[in-house]
Amino acid sequence: MSIPDYMQCAEDHQTVLVVVQPVGIVPEDEFFRIYKRIASVAQVSIRDSQRNLYIRYRHHYLPENNEWGDFQTHRKVVGLISVTTCGSAKEWPQTSDRFHSQKDVFGATLYDSRLLVFGLQGEIAEQQRTDVAFYSSYDVCPDVEKRVEDFVESIFIVLESKRLDRATDKSGDKIPLLCVPFEKKDFVGLDTDSRHYKKRCQGRMRKHVGDLCLQAGMLQDALVHYHMAVELLRSVNDFLWLGAALEGLCSASVIFHYPGGTAGKAAGRKPSLAQGQGQAADAGKRHRPGALTANGISADTSSEIGRAKNCLRPEDIIEKYKEAISYYGKYKNAGVIELEACVKAVRVLAIQKRAMEASEFLQNAVYINLGQLSEEEKIQRYSILSELYDLIGFHRKSAFFKRVAAMQCVAPTIPEPGWRACYKLLLETLPGYSLCLDPKDFSKGTHRGWAAVQVRLLHELVYASRRMGNPGLSVRHLSFLLQTMLDLLSDQEKKEVTQSLENYTSKCPGGMEVITLPDGLKLPPVPLSKLPIVRSVKLLDLPVSLRPHKQKGLLENNMSTKSPFIYSPIIMHTRGEERNKKIEFRWVQGDVCEVQLMVYNPMPFELRVEHMGLLTSGVEFESLPAGLSLPAESGLYPVTLVGVPRTAGNINVNGYHTSVFGVTSDCLLEGLPSVRTSGCMVEVIPSLPRLQLSTSLPRSAHPLQHSKEELSSSVSVQLFNGETQQLTITLENIGSEDLETLEVTSKTCNTKEKLFGEFLSWDLEEAVSQLPLKPGQSVTLTVNIKVRLDFSGGENLLQDLNDDGISVTGLPSSSPLRQVLKPRAETKPLGSESSKTDYNHVKTLEAVMTFKYSGGAGKVEGYYRDLTLGVHVDVEPSVFFTRVSTLPATRTRQCHLLLDVFNSTEHELTVSANNNQDLVLHASECQRMAIQVAKFDFDTLPQPDQEAVRYTNPKLLEEERLHTQASMINSTLGITWNIPSVRRQGEASVEGVLNQLVLEHLQLAPLQWDVVVNGKPCDCDIIADCKVGDAVPLEVKLTNRSKNAVGPFALTVVPFQDYQNGVKNYDLQDAVTFIGSNTFNIDTVNPTEDSVCMGALLFLYTGDFYLNIKFQDDNAGQGNEVPPSWFGLPSIHIKALEAPIEAGA
Amino acid sequence: MAVCIAVIAKENYPLYIRSVPVQNELKFHYTVHTSLDVVEEKISAVGKAMADQRELYLGLLYPTEDYKVYSFLQMFRKLHNSFTDVMCNPFYNPGDTIQSKAFDSMVSAMMVQAS
Repeated sequence: MSIPDYMQCAEDHQTVLVVVQPVGIVPEDEFFRIYKRIASVAQVSIRDSQRNLYIRYRHHYLPENNEWGDFQTHRKVVGLISVTTCGSAKEWPQTSDRFHSQKDVFGATLYDSRLLVFGLQGEIAEQQRTDVAFYSSYDVCPDVEKRVEDFVESIFIVLESKRLDRATDKSGDKIPLLCVPFEKKDFVGLDTDSRHYKKRCQGRMRKHVGDLCLQAGMLQDALVHYHMAVELLRSVNDFLWLGAALEGLCSASVIFHYPGGTAGKAAGRKPSLAQGQGQAADAGKRHRPGALTANGISADTSSEIGRAKNCLRPEDIIEKYKEAISYYGKYKNAGVIELEACVKAVRVLAIQKRAMEASEFLQNAVYINLGQLSEEEKIQRYSILSELYDLIGFHRKSAFFKRVAAMQCVAPTIPEPGWRACYKLLLETLPGYSLCLDPKDFSKGTHRGWAAVQVRLLHELVYASRRMGNPGLSVRHLSFLLQTMLDLLSDQEKKEVTQSLENYTSKCPGGMEVITLPDGLKLPPVPLSKLPIVRSVKLLDLPVSLRPHKQKGLLENNMSTKSPFIYSPIIMHTRGEERNKKIEFRWVQGDVCEVQLMVYNPMPFELRVEHMGLLTSGVEFESLPAGLSLPAESGLYPVTLVGVPRTAGNINVNGYHTSVFGVTSDCLLEGLPSVRTSGCMVEVIPSLPRLQLSTSLPRSAHPLQHSKEELSSSVSVQLFNGETQQLTITLENIGSEDLETLEVTSKTCNTKEKLFGEFLSWDLEEAVSQLPLKPGQSVTLTVNIKVRLDFSGGENLLQDLNDDGISVTGLPSSSPLRQVLKPRAETKPLGSESSKTDYNHVKTLEAVMTFKYSGGAGKVEGYYRDLTLGVHVDVEPSVFFTRVSTLPATRTRQCHLLLDVFNSTEHELTVSANNNQDLVLHASECQRMAIQVAKFDFDTLPQPDQEAVRYTNPKLLEEERLHTQASMINSTLGITWNIPSVRRQGEASVEGVLNQLVLEHLQLAPLQWDVVVNGKPCDCDIIADCKVGDAVPLEVKLTNRSKNAVGPFALTVVPFQDYQNGVKNYDLQDAVTFIGSNTFNIDTVNPTEDSVCMGALLFLYTGDFYLNIKFQDDNAGQGNEVPPSWFGLPSIHIKALEAPIEAGA
Repeated sequence: MAVCIAVIAKENYPLYIRSVPVQNELKFHYTVHTSLDVVEEKISAVGKAMADQRELYLGLLYPTEDYKVYSFLQMFRKLHNSFTDVMCNPFYNPGDTIQSKAFDSMVSAMMVQAS
């Protein structure tokens, strides 16, 4: 007896052993099908008695073990069921012979046997035989179970008779000595008549009867017999049998105490390597007479007392087991018995939940030496130890032994290593080392464990799976090792692991599919989310020029559906929702969008990541994977992943995809709590056209200073003040949609500079006429950049220039500009960087042109795009007017405008004005130019409409008025400058320098006076001729253009003579006489009306006479005084000539 | 003397493990790991039976061929004091692996000199 049955348990003592074996050629699956049906008859209740018979079936049993049948009767094969196939009657005799020879193997112990013949039909099959059953096929055998039951009953009858036979022959006959195989030679020549020998025989027989009683279902009798046997055998120191008797006692007590059985999860127990379906199908179904009822008290109390006396208490059972095992231990040949007893005791202890003691039994079992074990037996032994440790809750021990068993499977001494079995066993050890092959469990909490041991185990798994010829599994395990144990691996190990991973993936690339093992275990995919480690995921907005905007009106409609409230102070999101939060900006269908990841490489070597792409849901998305190479132990490294949404809708960025070391991984963000993200959901709107902007001017690198918004592009240009530059803008449709609408607006950024005229102007008509613009086509737009700034710098500058020797009078002296201007006049590098900051006189002007365009499906949804062009102009002063004043001209309706023109450039330039000669100015030279201009009638300017007046600030209104007046003056003057040396030319504006006083001077008075002498309109420079002695009619006409009624006025005409030497002679009573009054009275003149008064003069002598019309306001002091400038009455120059001598001469 | 000293956290993972024969470290890992079964069993038994009079010395866990494994829920006085010092370190995060030099040298002193 060398092979222990590790599956044994205490209640097996009450079973009878039946061997079921195939005879001849029986298909294995058919045999096991029949075997299962037979084995289902594990318990038969016997007719006419309360007893049950339990059967243990084996399809394989060593006859050698059968020899121990006397020692423990449950080891004895008492029944044989043979299963055979017999195709024809011819084969029958041969089959029958075989059956008989098989019976002979266990012949000595068999109580009964049966033969099940399948496939035979005809004459032979029709004969009724008790020991043979015929079935036409394996599928048609409905009464197999019934047959087996009958068979079991027949066994019972034999068993019962044997029991009775053995139990009663106490007296008279000589009791035979039962012995175990190895004892036989010891008893040769022993005195069979000694008391000692007799007692030994008696004791052994008692024990045997006890076994039989137990098998026959008579628990009480069995207990009694065992007790007697123990006493008898103890007295003769027959230790082996004493042990057996004690064990029998234990078994009976266990059966009594634990009717559920000690085999534990018998039904669920996995078939171990060698033994298969040998166990009784369902221990739980067993019901024993005499077992305790639910409340623990049997109905028959008297029998209860008797039982309690003989039955061991649960605590005592272990004591007796210990004793029995110590007796067994005395015999080297009883190792198997000892081992099995240990196993049984452990099972009992497991039920009693006494793990510590159980572990002692197991510890003992480990040291039982069974001689030379075959490798397979070793494996079996280690696995069963593992299983038992597991049973008592020592999972680590269990795992340890399982691993030892696994290693045993592939021991170098084995010619054909069982890598498959090894792998399977290794997998089973995982829970013991608190490892789970699902990486999700790892990421959930801070996993801590026995890293060294776990890493070792994973390495072993990798190795075993590789040797199994399944590189896919190796890759999966290695990935898991890398992913979960990365922090615990040394640099050297990291290198080794990745190297071998690369080796494996060259044969079998790792993927994201779940690997299902043949036994149903699923290995979830291992995304390598630590290679590289991603710290944050940030969705990027489109570049400024491609960002879509929603039309305002449509936006409001959308808003109203969302919430009735415009603003709520309650922020309704929690941290967890942040990931699902929708991001404010939008992406556009068909346009490349970007996601920025901050990654780092934890490895001590360069990490090559291939095919890194985005994982998205919601819309069709074309990911454009990128490959990257991260330096060893890199810091945070930004990686931008791009893709193109192909449909519109809400896109959700779920994670990313990588391929590292040949393992492709899909890393989902929800599984990576350490990744920071500010939301992963973005709306993708339908496609829009794309415009590319190019300009005729060079692009400027630096952004605009005064503009906060991001610009798609910007140009910069340097201009002299007053210069005009043309900018040609080409817009090309580089998208895939037609451009349908285009709007252009501009906004000047820095408003602190006073700007005259329109800075940017364009004509869109032509461009718009070319719409819709097909992809690939382009339109051009010409924009005029015109800079007219005020460089005069106010009054301070005038003072400054005064110091320079230019005659400007009457201004206080203190000016910061003074310091500025002087070095400028000498030598100064033009356009240098410092000049801009140091000198205020280079002014910048900036504007943003916005091209709003739309088209395609996006336009239908109400989206458009903006293209912005920043225009940066450095304006250098050209010429400016340091001072302006007026001089009255000879005519009352004209005046001279005196302008001090300063050339602030370094070039010689020419200034010209309408109807005026050119003025050449050297660098930094100031000259005065006088322009004769007709006075302006500002009333003809368009008046701002009443609505606007009502709602505008009066001050603004006034400025507006001044501005229009100034621009009118400016356009009339039309002053231009020209720098021949650099071929630049431009306008010079006087707008900035015009002040109220000058304006007033330039303005036509609201009261228009017309003086007509002798029927001829007169003005200062016109000399009216008349003849001496003729009455000269004088007519003064007043036209009231003011808003109020004026008058009445009194005008006095005073004649005088100018001697051109400063002396004026007013004493002309002799020379000039008035016909009528020399005073005219003008009545009140209502607005827009006129009034004429007439008079006449008579010149008595020839000569040059002047008439001064003096004004006397009759309403003086009444409040409505009229400004004196309104009385711009011309002085009249009359030349009285000698009357031609016609008659008199 | 001791050949291997391990400090195990409440959740049964090693806070500290050190053995003298360096070449066979893994073996000690296995030994200590498996003996945790016994510790667990003993503690749970203690918890049930006598919660108040807890015995900190768990005694011999089990003998292997070469060594005997003893366990103390809390250790020898010297070791215990050193351990307390480690725990009192404000920079020590309970549950982390022990990396204290002082503790290390203490343990070294307790161990048998590698022969």
